Parts: sequence; structure tokens; C-alpha cells
Amino acid sequence: MEEGFLKEGFLKEQQVMESDLNSDTSHKSSVDFLMDWFRKRSIFVLAYGTGCGAIEMPPTFTSRYDAERLGIRGAATPRQADVIIVSGYCSYKTLRRIIRTYEQMANPKYVLALGSCTVNGGMYWDSYNTIKKLEDYMPVDMYVNGCMPRPESILEGFIELQKEIAEGKASSWQKYEENYEFYRKNQEAVLGKTVAPAYDADWYLYDGGL
Amino acid sequence: MDDAMTAMVREIRNRFATDEIEVKRADLSKVLVSRFKIFELIDFLREQYDYKTLNAITCADWIEEEHFAITYILTTTDRKHSFMIQSMILRENAHIDSLTPVFKQAEIMERDLHEMYGIDFPGNNNLVELSLENWVHTPPLRREFDTLEFVNKHLTFREGRDDNIDVKVEMKRLRALKKEAKALAAQKAKEEKAKEEKVKTEKEDQNGE
Repeated sequence: MEEGFLKEGFLKEQQVMESDLNSDTSHKSSVDFLMDWFRKRSIFVLAYGTGCGAIEMPPTFTSRYDAERLGIRGAATPRQADVIIVSGYCSYKTLRRIIRTYEQMANPKYVLALGSCTVNGGMYWDSYNTIKKLEDYMPVDMYVNGCMPRPESILEGFIELQKEIAEGKASSWQKYEENYEFYRKNQEAVLGKTVAPAYDADWYLYDGGL
Repeated sequence: MDDAMTAMVREIRNRFATDEIEVKRADLSKVLVSRFKIFELIDFLREQYDYKTLNAITCADWIEEEHFAITYILTTTDRKHSFMIQSMILRENAHIDSLTPVFKQAEIMERDLHEMYGIDFPGNNNLVELSLENWVHTPPLRREFDTLEFVNKHLTFREGRDDNIDVKVEMKRLRALKKEAKALAAQKAKEEKAKEEKVKTEKEDQNGE
């Protein structure tokens, strides 16, 4: 069928899902290709809603939109999750929890931000306790705009994220480790000195670890 | 107002020396008393007239008059009538005794007011933070707190796109354009009409000759 002919519906989704099957992977070793494919097809999403956008997540994961056919499913704890969805506005109080949760997740980890509030504050642009730009405080792999984004948009965001994972482009957790001082400075500016314990990705290799 | 209510209002009026009793609705009345008599009144309503539930403690900031209006809303056990008991306290060093000895649930409401308005409640020993964390600035619901100024000072905004347009300015511009076009059209119509009339009068003159 002609490219761009189907704008929506299940056939379009099928087309999107199959679009990278024939892509050129000759530059990758078979192990890399397999690793990326496994990562892409088993995205565990942390069961954590931070704003009004959380209301769009149950329909995304249940029978109507059924995200599990793309390999996307829920995870109960941060240690088992690959993706955290920041679904809507973040007040300072929520931000502290989000950062803490994000730092507990194991690498590789990805961040999906939903709604206009995470992009530029949205309707909370002049609120005294809501942050305006999420990427100042933690790295973001994919923004899904809308107020609120429908499950179709969320799925499309996930598919784009999967594409980036397959290409090895989604590497925000590395960005977070490299630019940790920048993020920490911004976090302390709004949350005070008691943000969270200092972040160390390899804590389990040091004292008290394995 | 039925007889029982009239009697109650009369009794409150006599006992607490207040004329500020207002019937808002069939199920809601409001009374304004001095801050020194407010707990006596609450006790009286609770014991004598069955107002056993404390629904809310609310506050309004009257910055021009330099006081807070603090309101206790009580409801009867049959849920048929509510009473708003209001009192004024000074804004500066704002404080009023805690209601926790009478109503245990007042604790969290007073915590809320303490956080949002900075009102102190002597007698409530659990006035810790409720929904804000590490807040060191002016309590945010006091009217001298300027939200926009605070946001501009403490948070960064994302810059708009290059082609973004200020909606208000753009609307003003379009409205001005529309007005101009309308004025132009009106002028044109006027000129045409004048021309037509001139032609008409000339014709009439010719005919007359």
C-alpha cells in the first residue's frame, strides 16, 4: 500500500509496527541487533502516574488499545522498569518523587513525557509550585504533546521511542550521568538542598554493595 | 424561617450581642461575631442545637481592611442546616486559638491555613507542612504574594518558536485592520451616495429648466 495513505486505524498501526522490519542493520553485529530488538520489544512501564495524564494510561494498556502487542507492559517497581512516564504537570513535591524514582531505575532507562505541562508548563505556566520545563531537571527521551494526549498519541510516542531504541539513539540515561551536575543544580534550585541522596549509577559496585 | 430557627437566632442575638446574622439559604445561615466570642458560640451551637459536624475552616484575605475573615462551617447531625460562623482577625501576626480541643478534625484544616496564609493556631501542636515542601517564601495564598513575579524569578520558561505571535497583540492588530477597512468602505459608500445625489439633482435641474 502507498506510503502515507493510511492516516489512522489498526492497519496504520500495523504498518508503523512493521515499518522497521526491512531496515538496514548490516552495520550492527548480530548480538547488538538482537539486544536492541529485545529492548525494543520488551518495554516495562513503571506503574506511576504523576498528573491528570495518568488517566489515559489504563486505556492504553488494556484491551481497547492493547499496548502489549507492541511489547509494552506494566512493571510494579522502579527496579524492574525500563520506562517512566511523566504524565502531566509536576509540582515540586511530585518532582522530588519522580527524580527519586528515576534514579532507582536500572539502566537502560527511558523517559516519556506526556502533555503540554511537561513541555512548557501548559495551563500552569504561572503557577508558583509547578515546574515549566521537565528537561531542566531530568533527561527526556520523547515528548508527547496534547492536553491530554489520547492513547493513540501515547502509542505513537512509544513507537517512536522503540525506533530510537532500535537505532541506539535513545541514551538519555547516559546524558543524565554525564551532565549530572547541571541537573542537580537545577533540582536544588527548586527543591532545596535535600533533593535526594547523591546519585551513583554503580552504587552496587562500591561499599555496601555486592 | 420556621419557629425553632427564629428562636435560635433570637437567642444568639441576645447572648452574643451580634446583629450580623444573615440567612443565606433555607439550609445556610451566617453569623459574624467577635474573635473572643467565637469559641463560646461554637460550643453553644454544638451543645444546644446539635451542630456536631465541622465541615470546613476557610479564610479570606481582606488586604485593604488589613484583616483575615476566618469562617467555621458547622452542620447539624441530620444534615439539614449549616451555620457559617465568621470572625475577623488582624493580618499582622495573625493568630487565633485552635479548635482541636472541641473538634479533632480541625487539626488538618488549621495546618492548611497555617501553610497557605501563615496564620498561627496556639493549641494545635501539629502545624507542620501539608502540601508544600521546604517553603521559605511568603505563604502563597496571602494576597501580597505575587505569583507571576515569583515564577519569573525562580523558574525558566521555554522560548517560543520563531514564528510565534502574541495572541493579544495580533488580535488588536486584526481588529484595527478590520476597523480601518470598515471606515474606508463607509467613506466610499458616502462618496458614492453624494455623487448619485449630485447626478440626481443635476438631472432634476435640467428637467426643471
